[in-house]
Amino acid sequence: MKLLTCPLNGLRNITEFTYGGEYHPMPDHQQASSREWAEHVFFHDNSAGVVIEWWCHSASSYWFLAERNTISDKILRTFPASEIFNQRIDFVAVPEATPTTKGESQ
Amino acid sequence: MSDQNRLAPPFGSLIDRQQPISFRFEKQNYQGFAGDNIASALAANQQWLLSRSFKYHRPRGLLTMAGQDANTMIQLSSDPNALADRIAISDGLEVMAQNYSGSLNRDRGALLGLFSKFLPVGFYYKAFFKPRGMWEKWAPLIRKKAGLGVINQDYQVEYYDKQYQFYDVAVIGAGPAGLCAALEAAKTGAEVLLVDENASLGGSLNYSRLDAEGNTARVLRQALVAEVEANDNITAMTSATCNGWFADNWLPIICGKRLYKVRAKKTILCVGSLEQQAVFHNNDLPGVIMSSAAQRLMHLYGVRPGKTAVVVTGNNEGYATALDLLDAGVQVNAIIDLRQQPEYDAIAEYAVSKGLEVKTGYAVYAANKDSGGLHLGSVEVREIMSQGICAAEGNTILCDTLCMSVGYTPTYQLICQGGGRLSYDDTSAMFTLTNCPEDCQIAGSVNSHWLLDDVMADARRAAMIATNELDLSSATVPAAIALSQQQSPNFGWPIFAHPKGKEFVDFDEDLQIADIINATRDGYEHVQLVKRYSTCGMGPSQGRHSALATARLVAAATDKTVAQTGVTTARPPFSAEHLGHSAGRSFYPAQRSNMHYRHLEAGAQMLQAGAWYRPAYYGSSDQRQDWINNEVNNVRNNVGLVDVSTLGGIEVRGPDAPEFLNRFYTFGFLKQPVGKARYALLTNEAGVIIDDGVACRFTEQHYYVTATTGGVGNVYQSMLKWNAQWCLDVDIANVTSAYSAVNIAGPNARRVLAKVCSDIDLDSQAFPYMGVREGNVAGIPARVIRVGFVGELGYEVHIPQHCGEALWDALIETGAEFSIKPFGIEAQRILRLEKGHIIIGQDTDAMSNPNEVNMGWAIAKKKPFFVGGRSIQELNKTPLKRCQVGFVVNDLKAPIPLESHLVLDGDRMTGRVTSCNYSPTLNKPVGLAFVEPDQAEAGSHFTIKSSGGVMVEAMVVKLPFYDPQTQRQEL
Amino acid sequence: MSPSIDIVTTALRRSQLYRRHIEMGAVFESLGDGTAGDSALVSYYGANNHQQELTQAQHLGLADLSTLPRMGFKGLGTPDWAAGQGIELPAQPNQATLQSDGTLVARLSQSELLLASNLNGLSESIASTTQSTPPERVYSLPRSDSHSWLVLCGSRAAETLAKVCGVDLRPHKFANGEVAQTSIAKINGVLVRNDLGETLSYCIFSDSSSVEFLWDSLHDAMAEFKGAAIGIQALRDC
Repeated sequence: MKLLTCPLNGLRNITEFTYGGEYHPMPDHQQASSREWAEHVFFHDNSAGVVIEWWCHSASSYWFLAERNTISDKILRTFPASEIFNQRIDFVAVPEATPTTKGESQ
Repeated sequence: MSDQNRLAPPFGSLIDRQQPISFRFEKQNYQGFAGDNIASALAANQQWLLSRSFKYHRPRGLLTMAGQDANTMIQLSSDPNALADRIAISDGLEVMAQNYSGSLNRDRGALLGLFSKFLPVGFYYKAFFKPRGMWEKWAPLIRKKAGLGVINQDYQVEYYDKQYQFYDVAVIGAGPAGLCAALEAAKTGAEVLLVDENASLGGSLNYSRLDAEGNTARVLRQALVAEVEANDNITAMTSATCNGWFADNWLPIICGKRLYKVRAKKTILCVGSLEQQAVFHNNDLPGVIMSSAAQRLMHLYGVRPGKTAVVVTGNNEGYATALDLLDAGVQVNAIIDLRQQPEYDAIAEYAVSKGLEVKTGYAVYAANKDSGGLHLGSVEVREIMSQGICAAEGNTILCDTLCMSVGYTPTYQLICQGGGRLSYDDTSAMFTLTNCPEDCQIAGSVNSHWLLDDVMADARRAAMIATNELDLSSATVPAAIALSQQQSPNFGWPIFAHPKGKEFVDFDEDLQIADIINATRDGYEHVQLVKRYSTCGMGPSQGRHSALATARLVAAATDKTVAQTGVTTARPPFSAEHLGHSAGRSFYPAQRSNMHYRHLEAGAQMLQAGAWYRPAYYGSSDQRQDWINNEVNNVRNNVGLVDVSTLGGIEVRGPDAPEFLNRFYTFGFLKQPVGKARYALLTNEAGVIIDDGVACRFTEQHYYVTATTGGVGNVYQSMLKWNAQWCLDVDIANVTSAYSAVNIAGPNARRVLAKVCSDIDLDSQAFPYMGVREGNVAGIPARVIRVGFVGELGYEVHIPQHCGEALWDALIETGAEFSIKPFGIEAQRILRLEKGHIIIGQDTDAMSNPNEVNMGWAIAKKKPFFVGGRSIQELNKTPLKRCQVGFVVNDLKAPIPLESHLVLDGDRMTGRVTSCNYSPTLNKPVGLAFVEPDQAEAGSHFTIKSSGGVMVEAMVVKLPFYDPQTQRQEL
Repeated sequence: MSPSIDIVTTALRRSQLYRRHIEMGAVFESLGDGTAGDSALVSYYGANNHQQELTQAQHLGLADLSTLPRMGFKGLGTPDWAAGQGIELPAQPNQATLQSDGTLVARLSQSELLLASNLNGLSESIASTTQSTPPERVYSLPRSDSHSWLVLCGSRAAETLAKVCGVDLRPHKFANGEVAQTSIAKINGVLVRNDLGETLSYCIFSDSSSVEFLWDSLHDAMAEFKGAAIGIQALRDC
């Protein structure tokens, strides 16, 4: 069983973690073409080489990122998500609303 | 005891002659000594025949005396395929041989050997390929003949367990290399684990002859073992097998009934080498044994291997064995040295000086049975003319024991599991290992060192490297030990074909030279294919004694080098392990609500949903349906109480709490008034529904969101992951276990609740449907949510976890005058189905988007963003492929459809049922199903293929089935 | 903002393990302020043999402190606010300090604290933080209810834990005051080494709904070393 270093909790068995998928930036959800969006949602790069992945330490629910070489399966580095995400992300309103047939009702 | 076959001390270092032990083999009484294993004790009693071979039922006896071969597999009362040369004898132990019909001595199955010509390699593939069904007919017969041990079906469960251990350095193998590596590492203060699968530390020092007089090994072993035992930094485990090498030095070590899960910072594998057999006619006869097996018998167990012996050797170790045999009073009739011009070392010269007959450039061409037919009687020796080819004639030498000393294979399994590569050195005719995984080294003979001094220096060097890397030492590491100039112990081609075959390459599977050659001729040239086609190396000893010979044969047959041919992939486990070792100490956590025991006391039938115990219904199981129907009716007409503590609960607090929910769930939450609950539907990025709940807004900055029992863990993690990216000013906390909760539902719910709740105005105007309030219920601080959980007037009451039982008691007591009754999840599911509520994960699957399940209303259209929003937009561009409808079955005699029953349109499958149950309220089965859009019109009919293939007609109805105007929950 | 309702309630307070304790012949005592009823805490099991339970505690004992008060806070404002409340904060995440009133304060991340009362159930730190209204960006967590609290103590405690937990908790590798958030018998929890005098001791805080399973798992793991349940008196005597 592999070991993984959690930036908060240190070196632990990898069974203590949940894999959160490859990290890749989300395209602009309004501007992206259908194809770009579909690729973002459904395609994974699955590259041979160094990739960045999301991992969560289950016991502390702490999310972080790991650089892993998919050829050697060696984990090169783990770091807090705040290294990449260090400011608030905002979404602007849809320029042209799709007409609705039903309101927000239950 | 009449032990004519025992030797006097110092032979027999492991046995205690003062402690006789009685046991039984094949229902006969035998005696051995404490310290004996089954094979040694039987050998001491001249019982050499232990088992019958897998395919031809040939007699087999001990081969390695090291627990490395399948010849010694025997049957214990509840333990099939146990190794006789591993299992210690104990008083009263019942041992049976395996794989024979009739008796071990006269096995009727042995006739199969006569037909071996008609059982060529790949026989089963070829013979049963056609016609179809042929194999099914023959398989039971063949399996009966080719079986191994028998499983005891009355097996009593035994206690196995597991334990984690942590070390700086783990040393696997406690021979001279392992002992030295452990001592060197321990010097630096490192915590060292030393593991050996044998009963005694010292490895080959226990039985090898390292000098002419035969003293060095014993003296050295005593010194090293004493030093190890006196060292507090070393934990030594014997009779313990490291059964695999996994990433980052994760080592499963099996010792007794415990599996140690060892994590070592560094591992040094000093696992030694495995002696190999010579391949010649009848090389499997009992009495033909490894040279090291003879030495183990004598030195460890004080058992004389025989009366007269021949040694066949390709190295000088064979001469050392001959000296040991002489010391044990065995008559050594000849040393057959495969080498043309051997280079003798001091030991060999000493042996020669004893006047032994030595034939160089000769081979053992065949072994012959004695008069009894079950043991070696003589060997035929012939001059070697060229590689693998012997002279046309030879001569016969009488002997009851043949010791084979023709070479070794490094114990490569663990290293190769870790990615190590096996190469073949043509000069030394030996496999060598490279490419050890990180933080793992090999040392000693597994690292191709054969001279004792080299072995020990190599091990110390490995330990220094390990402790230096751990910053426990800063020793100057000597240069790598050069490979010995001494002649290799491996003879390049100890393989001699015979016109009558029976030269076994693989004892486990009864494979002969021709089987391997023919596999390559049948087109399976790659060694991996040879293995799969011929089954070579697939048996219990996993190629330990066949890999080298197979590689050589395949290489020669395919004009490749042995290095190019290689060996098949090594996978864990290294040796067979009991299922108990995997199954022992497994954890299946169970969750119980605070009201758990009240349910039991009320007669609930509990079931486990995920880890949670939940009441299915209350009452005896023989009247299951009646109880459930009563529970449903009581809710519809009166008032019921259900434990919903398992519901997920997540606090979302802070200035950005509304913004966060607005992005996370499909609905709009910014304008949700304080004091109101709102349905919360969750989709993933692909627009697929993954959870739902209600979001209760208690203050501007405080939401309490419920989630499904099974989904809350993922919902919570997903929330945290998204906010790790969005960086909103919000706090998210999973408080599922902090709250007990009940839902009190039915027309009388308000009247019951009002009796124990005075500080919340329960009037329908003051506390309307989908309102949330805080107050006290039965004196317990509570969050009260007015939801239409089951489609009746109802309140969900969430209170601190530890008060669950107190609340339950209060409501049951107060509700008594209204005949309140608890209901379980069976009734709950029917009640919710009657209202057309879907269960995420049952009525939805990994492709379900909101439109398919009529949830378009729960999607906010004007939000800048929500998870899954863009994907839902995309899905909206294409017509629906399926949609969910409600249906009723009007034929009350028809079998009630079940989940996953097919929806048909003629012969075409067009959908499936996702939920269906008898509705006591509507008095007919109601259900939900995915159908094609043109089957979805209310009033139309479709066919369901129900249990037993019965076609059931279903009618589409508009949802919900019950109370279509949804008035009852708003009373 | 509203602290909501996660304040310790005065309703009858019983451990989720109450029935297990009864079966084992527990004798109960009430909590410090007496408001939680008289069956709050296991005082001792069976005959009141002080010395025997103390010896057991020093060898290998398991106690249930789930009814003693505890509290949690998190949010960016937590460290400053807690320090302002007079709490001595551990310097790093995954460390714990003992306050002068015996309250155990574990820092689970830069901005999350877990407070557990002293063995008398009277904790000024918890009382004061609970009563004051936390400022913005400080969020209370109902740890008394969300988590159970077991104590595994004695010289064989580390070996016992090695059968249920994959973290190296041996005394020379896991110092007093260290915290491990990890999986114990496959249940997520917070494990704090908090020695009682000379006696090796670990607090285990984990999901309250799973505590019966954890209790049984620990008993199974202890059996080999002859561990047993002990009451709070023995802990106080350590």
